[in-house]
Amino acid sequence: MGDLSWKDFLGQAKQFLEMSQKLGDNWMLEQKDSNEPNTYLKYSQKIKCQGGKDNSAELVSVEYHVVFSVSYQVPMLFFQAHRSDGSLLDLEAIWRLFMPESKASDLHQILTQMDHPVLFRPFMALHPCRTAEVLKQFGKPSSNQVLTFISLYGPHVQLYLPNAYGLGQDFT
Amino acid sequence: MSTENEIILQFAPWESFVSPTFWHKLAELKLDHDRLSDSKRSITGHYTNRNASGCLLEVDYTAYNRTAQPPKFSHCAIGTIYNKNTIEEFKALDKLQLLVDEGKELLADMCSGGALRDPSLLTRFFVLSFADLKCHSYYYWFAFPCPLTPTLKLQGAVRKLRDLANSSSYITALKALPTESQNFFILYANVEKNVVEARSLSSLDEKEVEFCYFGFADPSEYEHPAWIMRNYAAFLLQQCPSFVGKPLKFLGLRQNQQMNIDDSLVWQVIQTEACDLSQSEDIKFVGWELNKNGKMGPRMVCMRDSMDPAKLAENSVNLNLKLMKWRLVPDLNLEIISQTKCLLFGAGTLGCAVARNLLSWGFKHISLLDSGKVGFSNPVRQNLYTHADAVAGNRMKATTAAQRLKDINPSAEMAGYVLEIPMPGHTIGESLVAQTKEHLEVIEKLVQDHDVIFLLTDSRESRWLPTLLGAAKEKIVINAALGFDSYLVMRHGTTRKETGDDGQEIEGLKCINGDQLGCYFCNDVTAPGNSLKDRTLDQQCTVTRPGVSNIAASYAVELLVALLQHPRKELAPAYYAQSGRGKSEEAEEKVPEGLLGILPHSIRGMLCNYENILPATQKFAQCIACSVAVLNQYKKEGHAFLFKTFETAKYLEDLTGISEFKRLNSEIIDFDDEEFDMSDSDED
Repeated sequence: MGDLSWKDFLGQAKQFLEMSQKLGDNWMLEQKDSNEPNTYLKYSQKIKCQGGKDNSAELVSVEYHVVFSVSYQVPMLFFQAHRSDGSLLDLEAIWRLFMPESKASDLHQILTQMDHPVLFRPFMALHPCRTAEVLKQFGKPSSNQVLTFISLYGPHVQLYLPNAYGLGQDFT
Repeated sequence: MSTENEIILQFAPWESFVSPTFWHKLAELKLDHDRLSDSKRSITGHYTNRNASGCLLEVDYTAYNRTAQPPKFSHCAIGTIYNKNTIEEFKALDKLQLLVDEGKELLADMCSGGALRDPSLLTRFFVLSFADLKCHSYYYWFAFPCPLTPTLKLQGAVRKLRDLANSSSYITALKALPTESQNFFILYANVEKNVVEARSLSSLDEKEVEFCYFGFADPSEYEHPAWIMRNYAAFLLQQCPSFVGKPLKFLGLRQNQQMNIDDSLVWQVIQTEACDLSQSEDIKFVGWELNKNGKMGPRMVCMRDSMDPAKLAENSVNLNLKLMKWRLVPDLNLEIISQTKCLLFGAGTLGCAVARNLLSWGFKHISLLDSGKVGFSNPVRQNLYTHADAVAGNRMKATTAAQRLKDINPSAEMAGYVLEIPMPGHTIGESLVAQTKEHLEVIEKLVQDHDVIFLLTDSRESRWLPTLLGAAKEKIVINAALGFDSYLVMRHGTTRKETGDDGQEIEGLKCINGDQLGCYFCNDVTAPGNSLKDRTLDQQCTVTRPGVSNIAASYAVELLVALLQHPRKELAPAYYAQSGRGKSEEAEEKVPEGLLGILPHSIRGMLCNYENILPATQKFAQCIACSVAVLNQYKKEGHAFLFKTFETAKYLEDLTGISEFKRLNSEIIDFDDEEFDMSDSDED
């Protein structure tokens, strides 16, 4: 347990999508083609973020992609945020948006920028180097590691899954 | 309802929310399709009443699709984009007239009943834009036209759906409403007849107004209904003139993330004056969006960060540096690195490697100076050249290297100068005097215009002039020289005078302040002569273990970065443990550290035993390159002085009085040479 194959990922992503649809959530499955790893889960939401010009709250749209990492054999969280005029938040702005005050935060170690494996554009990402290890600790109770992954890593970047996802889980 | 309680209903204005993909697609359409045509184009936007933030009308790349398919939980808005060819046309366009023209189209749909069949026509919007594709800047202004009709007065308090009597039956009926009708609909609630159902807007029946809730998907998160209700009400009153003076109930359907609609709002309003929208000549319109400063005016967005490949690269390049700053060295000053201008004398193995390391650190200004062409033996070691450069036969190293650096990082400023460095003891023939003078002027100017001078040439004498100029113009000078399996990297003592704290004395350590440190020539007691004379091939074209140049180049750049991060910069003191007093290892550990560790004067290392030593040496008062006598003579005579040294190196020895010294100390010098066999060599 811990790492998962492309087939596992795809199966679990689809299962997750079904759950989302049942719960009336708006996750989507984007499929560029049928090749590995060209299918990923997508979600977007608006977040109020402090730090406009006069430190007023500014609304930003964040798009999250859960993509399969071929090298690490785990799901990976990519995301990109833009303002109402279409301009992207740069590294500093993202850092300010999500970074907690405490230096001890795990996010310090995992927030980075990488080329999106499907879109081939620079995206913000949470680095996958510890994911397998983290998922392993949740090996037993989780029948859907994609769900486990999103619920563990998402909160770092204000991506929260409603509790209903957990209730819908098959724990057998 | 008593009239005192009636207040004018206000609406939440639309806020445009543009996806970067909307601009990407607009640029693509403009370049590949529209070109010089600036005819208007139909677009679609979308809005959601699920978990709404603000009161957003969103557009993305799908806006330009022929058939509108709004995203899940979203509804379609009908729009037009007027993309102008020039900023002047964008500015000069009659904004009032455009709003009127668009408004009349809206009225036509309201009056004809077109909006009854397709209520999304009520959500009409348009965008006036100008795309500056060269600068990746977009000027734009959204408008949401709306006829100025008599005000709607709110009767009683705004109520939540769940607080209405029979709310559960309403909710059941609303949940049965098909998705595509959710944007505008009628909730028919006739309790007497026991009929509660949600119907499409086309079922509008003027006579049953008291049983109707005029429903719409409400994208407003505020207490006020969204702007669309304004058009909705105007449309209903146009369709059913009998509604004037009657209480009308509007239901703003709002869903939370769990699809719960309990918090939808109900407003009971009344319009007391009639208004005929078919007399469109008399109607005024409102609807231009305010800009970010709350003013009536357009917005501008610069999309360079996501659309300009050079900018994309620049941002990515800076990523690792920024992560270094954020995670490991919070006080790292990246700004000073990006502003420091570096001049590299020599674009050979060392020059190429140093330049690449500078790029890695985020240096933005790199100039290279070299007189050579790319030869067949060069590309394998000199990592900015390829075999093709050698085959071409006429590619100059300096300019080729600059181009390659630019290819690697387009946002950096690179320049290559094909120039000979005049050298002491290398006589200049009569015919070349004029050209040499010209070159000297360029070199002097280059040194003046840069902050850091790197000495990376392949001979000792070619380092003399840059050393002198670096000292004369108070620049930071970093020197790297190679032996077969050894290397020397050093920072020259500075001539810059600035008061500040001297280095602290530490037991067992000798401390030399930055302005007292020696230069490359300070330890030498011979003036650089023609070292290429009387040499075998392997001595001229220096033979080194390939790793040596990379190691030395890396140390050279890291030494510079450590120096730039030091509060006293080149004035920073260097420490070294005095040997022969024991406990030298213990003392070494006490060397004060800067942001990136200690800052030595020089690094001498060998590959044969994989060891480095870090000696620090004093300035030599009779140095043939940086001593006061030499600098003064240069300042006094300028080129005339330089030409005398080119004529014969002996002149320098006499000027500094070193000839005398040399005779006395020849034994020691031989010993030094044995110990550190630092030939001044880099592969040509």
